[in-house]
Amino acid sequence: MTEFTRGGRPVAVDRLDRWVTFSTVGDAELVSLTGEIDLANAPEIGRAIVARIETADKVLIDLTTVSFLDSAGVRLLDALIGDLDALHKPTRLVVGRTGAARMTLQLCAFREDLLATDLDRAAAELES
Amino acid sequence: MTHELRPPWDEDPDDLYEHAPCGYLTTLPDGTIVRVNQTFLTWTGFTRGELVGHRRFRDLLTSGGQIYHETHYAPLLRMQDEVHELALDVVCSDGRQLPTLVNSTLSRDESKQPRAIRTMIFNATERRQYENELLHARQIAEASERRVRVLQQIVADLSAAPTEAEVAEAVVRAPESAFGAASSSVYLVDGERDLIYAVVSTDPTTGNWDDMPRSSDRAVARVAERGDLHVVNSVAEARSHFPDLVESMRRSGRNTVVLLPLTTGPTDEHSGVHTLGVLAFSFKGERKLTDGELRVVRLLGQQAGQALDRARLYDDVRRREDRAIVLAETTRALDEQHRLLPRARRVVERLLLKVTDWAEVRLQVGAAPIVESAGGPRPDDILLQQRIEKVTAAGEPIFADDGDQLDCSVLPLTARGLVLGTLALRMTPDRRGTAAERAFLTELADRAGLALENARLYEQERQIARTLQRSLLAGDLPSGDTRFALETHYQAATYDLEVGGDWFDAFLITKDKLAVVVGDVVGRGIEAATTMGQLRSAVRALASNEAGPARLIEGLDRFVERVESARMATVAYLEVDLSVGEVAYSCAGHLPPLLQAPAGSPEYLLQARSAAIGSRAGNRVRTEQRRRLPAGSRLLLYTDGLIERRTRPIDKGFELLAREFARRRDAPLQGLAAALADTMVGRDHPDDVCMLCLTLGTEERIERTIGADRMQIALLRADLRAWLVAHEVEPDCRDAVLLACSEAVANAIEHGYRDDPFGTIDVVATVTAEAVEVRVTDQGIWRGAVSDAARGRGLQLIRDSMDQVLFDRSDGTTVTMRRNRQETS
Repeated sequence: MTEFTRGGRPVAVDRLDRWVTFSTVGDAELVSLTGEIDLANAPEIGRAIVARIETADKVLIDLTTVSFLDSAGVRLLDALIGDLDALHKPTRLVVGRTGAARMTLQLCAFREDLLATDLDRAAAELES
Repeated sequence: MTHELRPPWDEDPDDLYEHAPCGYLTTLPDGTIVRVNQTFLTWTGFTRGELVGHRRFRDLLTSGGQIYHETHYAPLLRMQDEVHELALDVVCSDGRQLPTLVNSTLSRDESKQPRAIRTMIFNATERRQYENELLHARQIAEASERRVRVLQQIVADLSAAPTEAEVAEAVVRAPESAFGAASSSVYLVDGERDLIYAVVSTDPTTGNWDDMPRSSDRAVARVAERGDLHVVNSVAEARSHFPDLVESMRRSGRNTVVLLPLTTGPTDEHSGVHTLGVLAFSFKGERKLTDGELRVVRLLGQQAGQALDRARLYDDVRRREDRAIVLAETTRALDEQHRLLPRARRVVERLLLKVTDWAEVRLQVGAAPIVESAGGPRPDDILLQQRIEKVTAAGEPIFADDGDQLDCSVLPLTARGLVLGTLALRMTPDRRGTAAERAFLTELADRAGLALENARLYEQERQIARTLQRSLLAGDLPSGDTRFALETHYQAATYDLEVGGDWFDAFLITKDKLAVVVGDVVGRGIEAATTMGQLRSAVRALASNEAGPARLIEGLDRFVERVESARMATVAYLEVDLSVGEVAYSCAGHLPPLLQAPAGSPEYLLQARSAAIGSRAGNRVRTEQRRRLPAGSRLLLYTDGLIERRTRPIDKGFELLAREFARRRDAPLQGLAAALADTMVGRDHPDDVCMLCLTLGTEERIERTIGADRMQIALLRADLRAWLVAHEVEPDCRDAVLLACSEAVANAIEHGYRDDPFGTIDVVATVTAEAVEVRVTDQGIWRGAVSDAARGRGLQLIRDSMDQVLFDRSDGTTVTMRRNRQETS
């Protein structure tokens, strides 16, 4: 569909925010992922996250509304956590008790200390 | 006393000889003077002794006279023995020249040998003067005649000169040919800008060519102001009256400068004259101009002034015509573009073409201003911004002045009293400044403002219509029932046109009865969008468990009697009884739905056809057709934009659609409509396209084929997920199957088809009470053990999430995976 343009340039429809949005909880950067994360969108989402959390000291990644997560998504999370660990930035992944994301992460044997089920509690853990 | 008795005429011959009223000379044949009378001696101041025996006659002549003596006098005398009235100048003792007329006779002896020459000399001083005067008078007459001829030619040239520049060209040549001036220049008065500027000169190396204000002290400006001829006769005179002339007069060796105002108005008085220009010409050395010449010079000033006046009027008329043409053309050019941005673009492009070397339209609409500019170089941004703000606030134009740092005019673009934005432009040098140009720009800005405001309103209306249409089309479609699945697609025409009247809708009449409809309302724009909304509501209101498609369309026929804008709308309406898998449909003037059963060829549903809604001439007997469809059947409803192309007969459109639809029978439902539209109409489509695709029943076995494109994995997953849900597969098992299947497909894309973007992947899944089995097949190349860590993780995920996994690499790769359903219990 042709989009109305401003100043001669087409307004970019930001498709990425269908999968990833950013906010802050306390002094932690909150990365909220949602929908299906797979080979098709993981690299782009990864770039957006890296650009955003560069200056953050603590990072929360909320996966509770992720309905599908494949190995490309796992690769993305794995790389992010590796980088953050290396910089000694505390990180938590918030995942529901059940669901596609938890299944994939468990199958990949993610460290339990990284996983939380509740956003508020994870935020509180990072505060302390 | 005797001599006293002589009568007066009885003269003494000696005395007569000596004191005769003419000079007598007697010479030898070689010219040596032997006798001379007193009269000659008195005239010439010589003594007898100086001449007699010492000088020849020819020695007494001027050098020119001596030559004449040689060539004429002596030979004639020798031949004829006498010569008469030869004009010779005698040089007197004090060097004075005495004009004379000479008669001589040659006397010969018995043997005919020359013996002596007798010469009589008349004083011709008076007579020569008289002759000279005659000659001079003739010269004056000739010069005057030449001048008149030159001036006549110039006046003829002037009357034929249509522009100021050509008038100036004609005038500037006059002083040289008419008066022998060394050089001349023409200055014109620009009343609008209160300036005098040089336009042409025969010698551009002299003088000062800078523009000057009319109030300047320079000689040209002073003379223009006074409106009367002024002659500067010397450098000294210039120094006391017009010091600005001194330097160039001295440098170019001029002593006389004439400054002639070129005027119109009464010729006899100076009070009413209007100076349009100044002709300046100068002479090397001193040159006195006679009264006659000055009269002619004044005449020239009047003639040239009138010619300038005429040319100015003519120039004005032509400029006005030019401007009118530019305005008309611009208006027409703007009318060709309906949308705001292209229209703004066109404004600056037109200006660049005709008027300016840089132009910018800035519109304050929406969140960010629209800016379109053309040409260059760009003026200083900060200054420009300041001027734009001033103009926007005041709603009044600011024009570029001379010496303006910005050198840009900014005009408000107004419509209905509101400042919509600004038009900034830099004029090409020849169009700057004048009041007429300002009026022209103001009118241009007015027209542009109106055209842009109209485009903005159009854009706004279009936007409203789009929004309305989107809100209607984006309404919630029924989902979550495993007995059917829906996919819709809408794409607007590529080119700018208004919103079309294409629409679709789907809703559940009862929990077992689904209605789907695709329609097309006549017309475009906001009215079509509104009508579409009304018709859509009417369909929903009229649909009932009992009515059926034929009676619903009859209801629409009654509806358009009240909503006239919906008349001649077309509709394909279809009801599905989900409990038995039976469809009932009716088409009112609409293209037939396309059916693809799980097995067999695609088929257009051509029964139950009648005329458009509310048609007065067409067949309005509404009928319906019923048909049972096997599970897995797909139906496609669409509007004409999908198959109608100007370059393709409609038969071919139907054929192509059927073929493409069949070819994709195994493609995931999600994205199917968009892919079909892409194939059928491509990116470049003149019409809106609206599609609704319906899949009926749950297949026992799902078979899908997708391209080796990672974007398609999600589409496949959607179908597979719906299929697993329909078969009530437990969430854990479902998620595991979706993950393993996605990984297997990703593996085929990233590994098997690494070098083949056109590869396809087949996915087949079956479900039983005990297990779900999925087979993923590609024809890609097996590359030995997987070394890529990432892919390795994917393969590991497949193994971990499934109970049995089998890789077969005999022909491409086939991954067969099985997941038991009872694991969690």
